[in-house]
Amino acid sequence: MRARIPLAISVVLVVVPLFIALFGPLISVDSNKAGLPYSADGVLGTDGLGRDVLGLLLVGGRTALGMAFGAVLIAYAVGGLIGLVAASTRHRWLDEVLIRPLDVLLPLPSLLVISVVAVGWQASAPAITLAVAMVNVPTVARLVRAAALDAASSPVVEALRMQRESWATIQLGYVGRAVIGPVAADIGTRITLAVFLVASVNFLGLGLSPTASDWAVSVSRNREGLLLQPWSVLAPAILLVSFTLGFNLLADRLVHHTRRLAVSPV
Amino acid sequence: MRSYAAGRAALAVVQLAVLSVLVFVLTSLLPGDAADMRFDETLSPEQVSRLREQLGLDQPALERFLHWFSGVLTGDLGTSLISGGPVSEIVRDSVGATLVLTLATLAVVIPLAVALGILMGTRENGRLDRAITSVTLALSAIPDFVIAVVLVAVFSLKLGWLPATWIGGSLLTSPVLLVLPVTVLLGRTVCLLSRQVRAGTITALNADYVVQARRLGVPRRRLLLRHVLPNAAVPGVQELARTGDTLLGGVLVVEAIFAIPGFATALVDGVETRDIPTVQGLTLVLAVAALLINLGADLVCNRLVPRTELLR
Repeated sequence: MRARIPLAISVVLVVVPLFIALFGPLISVDSNKAGLPYSADGVLGTDGLGRDVLGLLLVGGRTALGMAFGAVLIAYAVGGLIGLVAASTRHRWLDEVLIRPLDVLLPLPSLLVISVVAVGWQASAPAITLAVAMVNVPTVARLVRAAALDAASSPVVEALRMQRESWATIQLGYVGRAVIGPVAADIGTRITLAVFLVASVNFLGLGLSPTASDWAVSVSRNREGLLLQPWSVLAPAILLVSFTLGFNLLADRLVHHTRRLAVSPV
Repeated sequence: MRSYAAGRAALAVVQLAVLSVLVFVLTSLLPGDAADMRFDETLSPEQVSRLREQLGLDQPALERFLHWFSGVLTGDLGTSLISGGPVSEIVRDSVGATLVLTLATLAVVIPLAVALGILMGTRENGRLDRAITSVTLALSAIPDFVIAVVLVAVFSLKLGWLPATWIGGSLLTSPVLLVLPVTVLLGRTVCLLSRQVRAGTITALNADYVVQARRLGVPRRRLLLRHVLPNAAVPGVQELARTGDTLLGGVLVVEAIFAIPGFATALVDGVETRDIPTVQGLTLVLAVAALLINLGADLVCNRLVPRTELLR
């Protein structure tokens, strides 16, 4: 196998921003205390509104990563269930009814759906999260359906059915477990995409309010000050990139792992 | 092939119908209608209701939809609430810049990604392959707005080599305006695409027919171009259709950063001013474009490798 970037580095890349997002709000100092814009006060200086960059950084991760995680969670709760049911049903019409409408929705540009939702519910984190989730449902449902279809039509399931095992035992216990591999690899890339999407929406000013402490909003708001006080832009940007890069590396590792399992002789 | 194309086109028509309903429903279900949005507290309730009547907002949703949809079929996308001009005019004025930006990016992305993908695929796990894979993997993890902000700071503000924003004039006559935006858009699309082409190349190279062709002494160049590339291109073309989504998102961001008066700028303006007819019109045009790209990609894939099944 080709040498890859050590696991430890990828984990650190993910954990640091995650840790800040989770525990930052607990230790943050008052970030609304206004000073001079783009000054060198404090560890990382101040931003364009004179607020302490470090303080903003500690609270800004909650929306930047939380909205993405929430969106992927909802997408999998809805799409995963649709995919599992569609794959396991013995009624072809149910499969059609569940999957066909998603074929129609698949080519909808995601940023477009989100910007339309943003017209009505601007600055509402739950609405944006829900929109990002909905955009992901069709792909997730198809992926889970495809992965579950192999397992659901195997002799094992046939045997379990003859033993009169319950639907939940068969679907969640056997088929669900078979799906975990491809799903885990997909979650990795999907979270990165969701972070991107949430960040782009916020960067464009269609999401959270332009004064929010969110990392992407900070990059957008302070970009004119990049040369005056680089940390106001670079610090949130580095945390975002570190997270997506780390997750990308982990997902890549997982994809290779599952692929190796799939081709290894049984 | 012909029956496949017919089936696929029929699906596209259904998608189109559903999409137009969806666009209308999504935009009309929004809290507060256009009359409220247009004049907040400066008008008396009577004036607001008169305005609502004037805009046809007092009619039932179904009637409004039919009115809008019959207009759409004849190319009339409605009237902007802000400028008062027809929405189709806004579409026409903004489509050019976006089209130039997208086509310029694709013109660089496709050859670059195919070349890189084949280069990596033919040297699977070699030093060059590993180096390019690592770089593309890392690059694809950086949001385009971060790349854009840094590039603008370095090349426009610090070095002053390239213009930071669109300052008037046509994108076509002054291609220097395109350098930074296209560079930003290149990053992620090239990474996503070249990885697919690489995977396709590796699969094709290991396929029986290629092994056999090699045994028969087919020259390497011919082998790559005639036997490997068409099969390697399939995941690439499918990815390209999916990349269309990423690219569109990127175009929105890039237009916003470089102040390019394109589709995205018009859309963001429409969203900010709650100009619902404009948002509806622009959304519909973009959704149709995305649909056509997907249709085109599926047809091309079917032409390249005629075994592709319809949907699934």
